[in-house]
Order: sequence, then structure tokens, then C-alpha cells
Amino acid sequence: MPAKDKGHISITSSDQELVLSSLEPEQLAGLKKHLIPRRHLKGPEKFVMWSLRIYLLFMIVVVIYQVWAGLH
Amino acid sequence: MRQHVPRTPGKGTREPKNAAKEPLVNLGPLSKLKPQAARQEDVVITHEDVDRAHDRVRVSAARGQRGAFSKFRLLWLLVGPGILVMLGENDGPSMISYAATGARFGIGFFLPFVILTFCMAIVVQEMTMRLGSATHRGHAELIFDRFGPFWGWFSMIDLGIGNFLTLITEFIAIRAGLGFFGVPPWAAVGTALAFLCLAVMMHRYWTWERTLLAIAAFNLIFVPVALLTHPNWHSVGSALITWKPLPGGLSQDTLILVLADIGATVTPWMLFFQQSATVDKGLTTKDIHLGRIDTVVGAALAAIAAVATILATAPLFAHHMTAENFQGAEFAQALQPLIGRFGAALFALGIVEAGMVASVTISISSAYAFGEVTRRPHSLNLPVTQGKAFYSVLFLCAATAGAIVLIPGLPLVYVVLLVNVVAVLAMPPALVFLFMLANDREVMGDLVSPRWANILATGVVVFLTLAGLLFGISVIAPNLFVFLGGK
Repeated sequence: MPAKDKGHISITSSDQELVLSSLEPEQLAGLKKHLIPRRHLKGPEKFVMWSLRIYLLFMIVVVIYQVWAGLH
Repeated sequence: MRQHVPRTPGKGTREPKNAAKEPLVNLGPLSKLKPQAARQEDVVITHEDVDRAHDRVRVSAARGQRGAFSKFRLLWLLVGPGILVMLGENDGPSMISYAATGARFGIGFFLPFVILTFCMAIVVQEMTMRLGSATHRGHAELIFDRFGPFWGWFSMIDLGIGNFLTLITEFIAIRAGLGFFGVPPWAAVGTALAFLCLAVMMHRYWTWERTLLAIAAFNLIFVPVALLTHPNWHSVGSALITWKPLPGGLSQDTLILVLADIGATVTPWMLFFQQSATVDKGLTTKDIHLGRIDTVVGAALAAIAAVATILATAPLFAHHMTAENFQGAEFAQALQPLIGRFGAALFALGIVEAGMVASVTISISSAYAFGEVTRRPHSLNLPVTQGKAFYSVLFLCAATAGAIVLIPGLPLVYVVLLVNVVAVLAMPPALVFLFMLANDREVMGDLVSPRWANILATGVVVFLTLAGLLFGISVIAPNLFVFLGGK
């Protein structure tokens, strides 16, 4: 087990072996800093996303109106 | 402390040119997308990795053994995110929505309808579990990386606002539930924050998960409360088969409860939470089958608790009693003449438990997303010294929400139900991101969603969008709503 010292945890060589043998490389916290390649949205996808965005904004206004009407 | 260790083929050595075409490891689909990362020569090992590795060793040991007990042990080791997300979503406002449904409509249409909403939740949450197991990335991280910060921030704003509003309602539920026992509001909020601190200060995902699972099991406390009301089982059976009656028809009030009940089972924070928890727990592609079982078991348990809550408050409808203010304590007090002090106390405790568990899961969902987007360490395996930002966001969200609940004279009527309505409205955009990611062959490899899952997911998006639109029509164009069959 890693030794604890003033809140810092030292990683022993057996820990290293354990991590490298039991975790998939993608699971290592250090490797998650690498970005996944970007995918640009196509026309129909952008249309759907913008439509739903407008839908959401519109419906939020409706809910705010509903709350206002309910309180008055 | 972080430690650099050389990874094959050895520090300082370069791989042959032809190695670029072959991933170093043949594991996740993402290795095809990230050859640089997969060929990384230096690997940073953290305390978070060590804890996760210990968990995975136990899983591997259980998987290597034969026999029914070993299979059960493997299932026991792998369940968690699915059950927690489903029971976590049976939160304060959700249970209050179900209680309002029972009191307003009794036994009828809403019993099978609530079960249907949990089926929708299974469809949606299975995709997040699959995404997390295949990519080892959280939902916010994937959206930001794959679709860019423009769409990523839209998604995060939806999540942040939704989570914060929901957190407020969790504290409303805790305050109302503990109020039944005479606990003053400040003490109720303080107790909830102390519980949150204790829950996350274990610095170990496994311990946190098991502790919260044990507490979340108390969500089933609504079952004995329902039994105390002696439900008419013939009516229950008839309602489940015929989806009737629906007293009063499809009015605007009915529609609000329809949306609130949908929002009680499918909400954006669930997508982010289950995927991040799946990653934090360390599930891999080998675990997807048991991850599905975890999700289905969670949905079944949550559906039982939800149906029990409707049954528990159904006598209020039968006895023509109403709880004017949709808060947990009022329901408990209204039930007291019918099921006694003990039954009413159980109901109030159930509301408190629902709020407590959800306040933890929703705060963690926000903290996970924050960590993923800002690329800061984000894991329940982190000591406080290594996860200052993660724990700060978690506590700041909860403490602010708790403080708001203490503002005197804050109008709480409608807020609890409307938070669930807002959650439903925010779901379609969130689901489209999930749908695209789960069908992204470059990210998911062969684990993309099958055709049947896509049909079901599309059905969920269309259903939620239409339900939201119908609500909008009922508010801004009541005549058109009547023309469409409403009342």
C-alpha cells in the first residue's frame, strides 16, 4: 500500500506494476490530458442543434412566464 | 505525488515507423483516435490510478473464477453507477412530484406512465455507461473534445443551471422532510451539508459508492408506506393494463405533472453523472454487459419506489384531501390521519433521504463536469490536496444552494415541480449530443449503438420534445391546446 506522509502519497514500484498491469492505458489519469480529435458538425446536425437550442430558450421563457403567472 | 515511470518499449527509445499504424494496446476504441497518447513513452502514475487499479484487480480475480458465487461477486463489484444514478434521480423534487401525482390523480394513468419513463431512462443511461466504458472519458470531456468548446459550453451552461436549480430543490425537500420532526431550517441545511462532507471525504470511490448505495436503498422506504395505505390491488392491476383513469383529462395542470414525472426520471445531470462515475469506477468494455444489468436493476428499484410513492399518496385523492403546497412535509402531515404517525414519519424520512442522496450525486456531477472541462483532476479517489478544485466546486454548489433555501419568504410554490419541467426541456439537446457520440464509430469503434437502440433513443427525443411543445402551447395558446384535445 502507498505510504501516506502529510497528505502526500508516494507511489511505490509495486503500485506502478499494479497500475500498468491492471489498468488500460486510456484509464490512466495522466493520459487523459490528450485531446480527442475534433469532429465538425455537418449541415443537418447543425440545423438540429440550433433548432433544439432555440426550442430550449423559447421554452425557458414560457416556464418563466408560467411561474410569473402562477405567482400573480 | 505523481511519479513518472517508463512505459514500453522503454524511456528514451523510439518506436519503429511502422508502429504508428498499430496501437500500442488493443483495448479501447479511442486508441485508434489517439496514436500519440497510446504510444506515450512516459506515463504519469497518480494516487487515483493506484486506487482504481486495486479495484480492477478484484474485478479480474472475480472474473477469473467459475461458479455462481463468483458471478454474483463480479456483479456486486461492478454495480454502482447505474443503481446510484436511478435512485439518485428519485430525488426530493421527484418524490414530491410522484406524491403530488398520487394526491391529484390517485391510482390510474400515471402508474404505467411512470414505469414507461423509467424504460426511457434505461435506453438513455445505457448509452452513457457504454460511452464511459469504451472511452474512459466523462460526458463533458467528450463533448468538448469532439464537438469543440462552442457546443461544449452550451451543454455545460444547461448542466450548470439545471444542476444548481435541482440542488436548491433538494435542500427544500430536506428542509421540509426534517421540518416534520421539528428540525429548524438552518439545522436541516447544516445537517445536509455535513452529510455531503462525510460522504465525499472518504477519498476512495469504492467506499463512497458502497456507502451511498446503502443509504440510497432507503429510497424503498416508500414501499412500506404504500402498504400501510392498503392499496386496492385490483385498481392497481387495472391501471397498469388500461392506463386509466385520468381524472380531469389532459388539462394544463395534468401536463405539468406529466412533464414533472418525466423530469423525475430523465434529466441531463444523469447523463453526466453515470458516464463520469463509470469512468471513475474504472469499467471497461468487458464490463458493459454487467453495466447494463446495473442500469436495469437501478431503474427497476427506482420505479418500485416511484410507484409506491404514488400509491402512498393516492388515499389523499380518494379522501378528497389535497396538499396545497407541494412540499414533502405537507404530504407527510396530510397522510398522518390515514396511516398514523409512524407511517407519516417514514414518508418524511423518505423525502429527506431522497434529498440527501441526490444532493451528493448532483454536486458530484457538477464537480466531475467542471474537472473534465478545465482539465483538472476529478475523481473521488483523490485526496483533498490533489483535488482542491474538484472538492471546492462540489461544496460551493451545495453550500450556495443550501443558503438560498434559508432566504426568508422565498416563494417555493411551483419551484419544485417546475425544476423537473425545466429538466425535461433541457433533455432533447443533451440527448442529441449523447446520440451522436454513441453513434460515432471513431470514438466507439464496434460499440456504436445498434439500430434498435437508435430507434428507441430517437423515440425518446421526439417524445420529450413534443411533450415540451404541448406544455408551451397550453401556456401561450390555450385555445390551440383545447383544439388539440386538451382541457
